[in-house]
Amino acid sequence: MAEKHQHDAPPSPYLEKRRTAAETEALEERVRRLENLLTEKGIVSKKTLDRVVSIYENDLGPLNGAKVVARAWVDEAYRQRLLADATKAIKELGFGGLQGEHMVVVENTATVHNIVACTLCSCYPWPVLGLPPTWYKNPPYRSRIAIDPRGVLVEFGLELDDSIEVRVWDSSAEIRYLVLPERPQGTEGFSEEELTALVTRDSMIGVARINSPS
Amino acid sequence: MDRIARAEVADMEGVGALPRRSGELIFHDQWECRAFALGVALHEQGEFIWDDFRQHLIASISADDKTSEILDPSGPGYYEHWLAALEKMLIEKGLITSSKDLVL
Repeated sequence: MAEKHQHDAPPSPYLEKRRTAAETEALEERVRRLENLLTEKGIVSKKTLDRVVSIYENDLGPLNGAKVVARAWVDEAYRQRLLADATKAIKELGFGGLQGEHMVVVENTATVHNIVACTLCSCYPWPVLGLPPTWYKNPPYRSRIAIDPRGVLVEFGLELDDSIEVRVWDSSAEIRYLVLPERPQGTEGFSEEELTALVTRDSMIGVARINSPS
Repeated sequence: MDRIARAEVADMEGVGALPRRSGELIFHDQWECRAFALGVALHEQGEFIWDDFRQHLIASISADDKTSEILDPSGPGYYEHWLAALEKMLIEKGLITSSKDLVL
């Protein structure tokens, strides 16, 4: 396929704008000095600094997506708008931050199960789901999800009946997908806030279902 | 649905927004990562209010004529401003002294 699929390849100006070795060294020295000063004074510990980096690199902030899903469950008109034009409907709730990428919401039903992936890199609907989990970016998920989606789902603990059609959506720099999971049974009297709390990140990627609250 | 990262840091928008690609934070060099950690850790420990830091960051970016608009997130530059804002913040809070503690 000669289809254009450029994903998030860094633009060429990136290389031209790299700092020189001398500039980098000067900046390294500046940071090292600041860090040593603050650690020696006991204001901050090296351990804390490492922890911060790991937290923010692996940040999970799927709350925006959960709000979108819960709204679609309680408001049929919103659900229709979401499926017709997700970019616009998500913006209605005040979530954005994408730069030209379109959001598409795909709905799970009793007969169709959707999964989102990015087979070439790690495109991800981050304004609604936060940062992607590590496995989403790793080659095993990215390569196998298209070939053997059912097998991958089993590894995630989700066994689908053969009668359910599985659809895999390959994200790109232009289009980001979000799964609208099925509303679990036993939530009939739940408020929108209570429903929001049930929605998991994995269910919006499509590698999990939402369990009925016990 | 754990979220340990603080929203005011992770979800900054506009001029001060953290450089990201596909949602992930971008660090070109190790020092950028260390500078990021310093700023966030000190804030989380209550050394300063995030918005005060953010204002310094925005001021630094805006004062740079090459980057009067939002910085290109895929190129270096953002963390120079971050570092400048952090130094300013720490001097203001009396945690460091500009004359003796900084390499300028």
